[in-house]
Amino acid sequence: MNQSAVDGVVTFAEGLPGFEGHHQFMLLASSDMQPFTVMRGMADGGPSFVAIDPRMVDRGYQPTLDRVDLARLSADERDTLLWLAIVAAREDGSATANLRAPVVINPGTMRGIQVIAAESQYRTDHPLPLG
Amino acid sequence: MLVFTRKVDEAIVIGDGIEITVLRVGRDSVRIGVTAAPNVSVHRREVYDQIRAANAAAASAPDAIPGLVARLRRGVTPPLGTPKS
Repeated sequence: MNQSAVDGVVTFAEGLPGFEGHHQFMLLASSDMQPFTVMRGMADGGPSFVAIDPRMVDRGYQPTLDRVDLARLSADERDTLLWLAIVAAREDGSATANLRAPVVINPGTMRGIQVIAAESQYRTDHPLPLG
Repeated sequence: MLVFTRKVDEAIVIGDGIEITVLRVGRDSVRIGVTAAPNVSVHRREVYDQIRAANAAAASAPDAIPGLVARLRRGVTPPLGTPKS
């Protein structure tokens, strides 16, 4: 799983669960946001998300993509894909990362999906190590 | 809601190319097979709801993102695990 840098507008044909009507997100990554990447919704008042490389949360992260997911990304096994875990900040100052349903982006086609595997060993609310 | 009575190995067809077959009936569960085109998403309701709730908890207004990133960055314990290449 090689990570690849992406800048630009990514199209999620099916949206994200809960936000099925929002298809386009601008990906923003810069040194002053490191290690986070922002997915800014392109629609007026639409949702935006903060995300992180899931391997920064769990070094042994081993996600799987099936053939259907690859087809949705117009990708094959050789393509280098960008993996992101959506971060949720809590009222108490803690934060969690969604390793259960990672966002995967194919930089070659600028298509993205949120992976909803039938089974997963990961949690939607994996604690983010914050000081 | 449309309601059907089906026996094992009987199916219903939805639209063009979605087929739902009853495979096995147990005492308190039913095993169901779904055939659909690859671009049709099929998920267990509770899994989809769990991910929808996680997305809702994580979504921010675009204006709130810079402050959120700054807050998260202040809290990151360095070094947050370095990814393997």
